[in-house]
Amino acid sequence: MNQKTMTFLLFGSFLFLTANSRASSDVSLAEVDFDHSVENIKSGAQVAMDVCRLCHEFKYIKYRNLLEIGFNKDEVDVLRGDMPLNTSILSTTKPEIASKLFGMMPPDLSLMAKARRGGARYIYTLLTSYSMDAEEHVDNKLFPGIKMPDPFAYAIRTDDVRQKELDQRIENVSVFLQWTSDPKAKERRRTGYYVIAYLIVLTFLFYLLKRKVWRTLK
Amino acid sequence: MSKLLNWVDARFPLSEFVKQDLTGYPTPRNLSYWWNFGFLAGFVLVLQVVSGLFLAMHYKPDASLAFESIEHIMREVNYGWLIRYIHSTGASAFFAVIFIHMARTLYYGSYRAPRELMWWTGQGLLLLLMATAFFGYLLPWGQMSYWGAQVITNLFRATPFFGDEIVIWLRGGFSIGDATLTRFFVLHYFFPFLIIGLVLIHLVALHTVKSSNPSGINLAAKDNIPFHPYFTAKDLYGLGVFLIVFCFFVFFSPEFFIEADNNIPANPLKTPAHIVPEWYFLPFYAILRSIPDLLGGVVAMGLSVVIFAAMPFLDRSHIPGGARYRPVYRILFYIFVLDFAVLTYVGAVPPSGSLVVIGQVATFIYFALFALLPFISKAEEKWLCKRGLPAEVEELLKSKSSPDKFNCPL
Repeated sequence: MNQKTMTFLLFGSFLFLTANSRASSDVSLAEVDFDHSVENIKSGAQVAMDVCRLCHEFKYIKYRNLLEIGFNKDEVDVLRGDMPLNTSILSTTKPEIASKLFGMMPPDLSLMAKARRGGARYIYTLLTSYSMDAEEHVDNKLFPGIKMPDPFAYAIRTDDVRQKELDQRIENVSVFLQWTSDPKAKERRRTGYYVIAYLIVLTFLFYLLKRKVWRTLK
Repeated sequence: MSKLLNWVDARFPLSEFVKQDLTGYPTPRNLSYWWNFGFLAGFVLVLQVVSGLFLAMHYKPDASLAFESIEHIMREVNYGWLIRYIHSTGASAFFAVIFIHMARTLYYGSYRAPRELMWWTGQGLLLLLMATAFFGYLLPWGQMSYWGAQVITNLFRATPFFGDEIVIWLRGGFSIGDATLTRFFVLHYFFPFLIIGLVLIHLVALHTVKSSNPSGINLAAKDNIPFHPYFTAKDLYGLGVFLIVFCFFVFFSPEFFIEADNNIPANPLKTPAHIVPEWYFLPFYAILRSIPDLLGGVVAMGLSVVIFAAMPFLDRSHIPGGARYRPVYRILFYIFVLDFAVLTYVGAVPPSGSLVVIGQVATFIYFALFALLPFISKAEEKWLCKRGLPAEVEELLKSKSSPDKFNCPL
């Protein structure tokens, strides 16, 4: 084995081990092929405003941010009531009442996707993991003993059509929460393509320059 | 223009400095790409200082505001997300570059005479870098920031007699709190000044002893070439490759190096299920956990970082050249890199059953390699002398102009 292969193998194994150490502790999450289109984010936002917002706040999202995902001014005005555009989206239930009801403050949702390994996949899996046992007791398989009652009544879904509808709603909410946790993701990736393309050209020129300079060396 | 330059030169050795230490600086012509990493480390240092400066303009070192101010940077500040992700990815890049830089030094024996001071100032830089990274990791005030700092400051409890007092003194309270955050911010801002100072000393030492090279033998003067344009061009090319990898993480996977838990605000009442340090501390963290006794673990962890400084003493072989011409040393080097990787893995996962044993074995191997090196290197020297040095080494040493002389003691 020559030196280069050896180095390659060693650094390769190093990367593999490091990467694996993160992957191995992932719980099994649902495999979903999310569609992160603006339409889906907006539908998810509508569900989130109707359902999640009853108890949860979206601390780092302001009403005006909804304009970025396809809401028009009138729709936002309906949602915000008399709150200014530049305020965080808070829950409609008073926090004191919510924490009395559930025994804890319902957490902020705007960073939730980033705060859980798996992001949108985690949220999707969590919301679709509610089920009912023989004694009609509802629990969550991913998060047993969770204090949040089944928000979409997923455990008592009746037929396949209803399930499909729910899955779609939950998928949209997951996509929306992915957006709230990282609203600049799209801009970041778009910039990234230009940056990487530029760097590849630049590096190639540097390579040519290096070769040209070194050729003068006897 | 030349008149102005003459005026300056009469008062300050500007042209002389540029010629001797920048453009005309004699550099061995046979340097491989492994020699790019010193320059890259300097580049990342500048990147961190500049991005950190802009972050500090918007960050609030206050326990009730810190977490929110990071989200403010990410969402409201123009290109704040870019500056913050450059800085957070830059920390990982810094360690990656430094680890490779150190591995190169170990492989090619660049720590040997006359470059001991380069190696020791480098060791000092590693310690400063680790301290700076540790202080910086508390600043986002997430769960992992908080509990990581809690665990690490708690290690000072192992200090004999004053353990508890020292921990309180370091934290500025009984647990991590606002006082800790403020002082960590100040220190995180201050330590880079020390780093820059020590880097300058590192460079002055370098320009006295000059670069080592893959042959491990100091080359004759004719085999040195001016730094500019040869190595400026080569360093730029290396920088381009580095930036492609770096920017891939910044733009497409910036959260790869950030634990999910750190996106939850610090909560002193709720311990995360599994506290892990950043990846670059994992091997040392694994060593800490492998020793069942707290004081023993802390001593072993500290030793595992500073033991590198002993390399010039532990390596007793006089055979010139690095691992390339020393087959036994080469095997030790590869075992070490593999062991380091295993420790990284062990440090990242919750300790359980066989992994504890693997961690302990890897810790043992880590120290055994250093402990056995004096004997192995001496035996290897004898063996190589008996067998005869590789033809290339003989040739390099025989060439009249090489400043190195070596005769087998047998």
